Amino acid sequence: MNDKSRARLIHLLISKSMAEAVLITAVVVGFYFATTNPNLRGVLDDADPSFVTGWVVDEGNPGARVEVQLFVDDQFAGDVTANQYRPDVHSAKRADDDWHGFAFRTPQLMPGEHQARVYAVHSNGGGTRRTLQLIGKPYTFHVNQ
Amino acid sequence: MSMTNTEINLSRAGAGKDVPSDRALAAWEIGSLVSSALIAEWILSAAAGRTKLIVLVPAALAFVLAIASHILRKEHPRDLGFRFDNFLPCLKLLAAPMVAVAILCAGLGLTFGVRPDPFRWHPERQLGGQLALGFLWGLVQQYALQSFINRRAQIVWDKGVRSVLLTAFIFALLHFPNPWLMLLTFIGGLVWCAVYQRAPNLFALALSHAVMTWVLVSTLPLSALNHLRIGFNYFA
Repeated sequence: MNDKSRARLIHLLISKSMAEAVLITAVVVGFYFATTNPNLRGVLDDADPSFVTGWVVDEGNPGARVEVQLFVDDQFAGDVTANQYRPDVHSAKRADDDWHGFAFRTPQLMPGEHQARVYAVHSNGGGTRRTLQLIGKPYTFHVNQ
Repeated sequence: MSMTNTEINLSRAGAGKDVPSDRALAAWEIGSLVSSALIAEWILSAAAGRTKLIVLVPAALAFVLAIASHILRKEHPRDLGFRFDNFLPCLKLLAAPMVAVAILCAGLGLTFGVRPDPFRWHPERQLGGQLALGFLWGLVQQYALQSFINRRAQIVWDKGVRSVLLTAFIFALLHFPNPWLMLLTFIGGLVWCAVYQRAPNLFALALSHAVMTWVLVSTLPLSALNHLRIGFNYFA
């Protein structure tokens, strides 16, 4: 192979690498926006041996009721729609109406310290993917003997 | 001032200059093709939704690279294996290993309690049509593996065991993380690459590829092969 051909091949290899780098960057950025809903707002207010409560709003679609999942000590514990009465969220101007609260019945737990996490479910990829976004902060609570 | 023989050889190889040597360039070409396959298998398959058309982008880039490389290196279709004069000699070389692997697969399948079923490979399709599709897919894979990777591996390490091992290893790597398929593609890769170096004929290799895929699917447990899934889709 002569030097001219070699130089052309090198340019081609570099161009291909750059095209792939651009493609990967575009896909990663697109994937991030597809799998993440930046408009989700919410708080895990309270967790105790009886209930786990809080609220969640999709500010991009304020009329929608968001599906949420409860995990206790990293174990799936339940799935509900955040459609409970929470006038305080509305009056704090975080939602357009009063119905964005959630309440889970806490599963039976051994005595000791436990951690509750609530995730909003975000459906994407034409329904082929469901991703979870943590709502508020994990809540640690104690179960007495 | 005249150059010594060593200086001339170094100059041909590109050593001592800013341009890479032929060997380095061939290795770069292999890496580039493999990276396209890995991007398609691991990144785009994971990120794509229902439509998987996006994986055609790295495939098209790899194809453009391969064609341009053949032109720049002055490789003719006949050199690459698109020929018929050595079809039968190539098949002759493939016959014994194919029969041996088929018997091995049938034996392994029976050990796992699977009775051979020739209609298990996409049962919703006609077997003849499926074999024809398998031949076309085999031709694409064998073209990439032999006409590009194997030939570039021979520039890096010459004809022989090392280039055959490198090509077979790459072929197995591209089937990661499916353990059965990695093992079988490594064995198949060794045979196909060695045969290609003696009798380069892509049509015979594609035929062998289709028949061996049919044998694998018909004899080994589908759960072990995980429906031939590779890359990110292995976990899907």
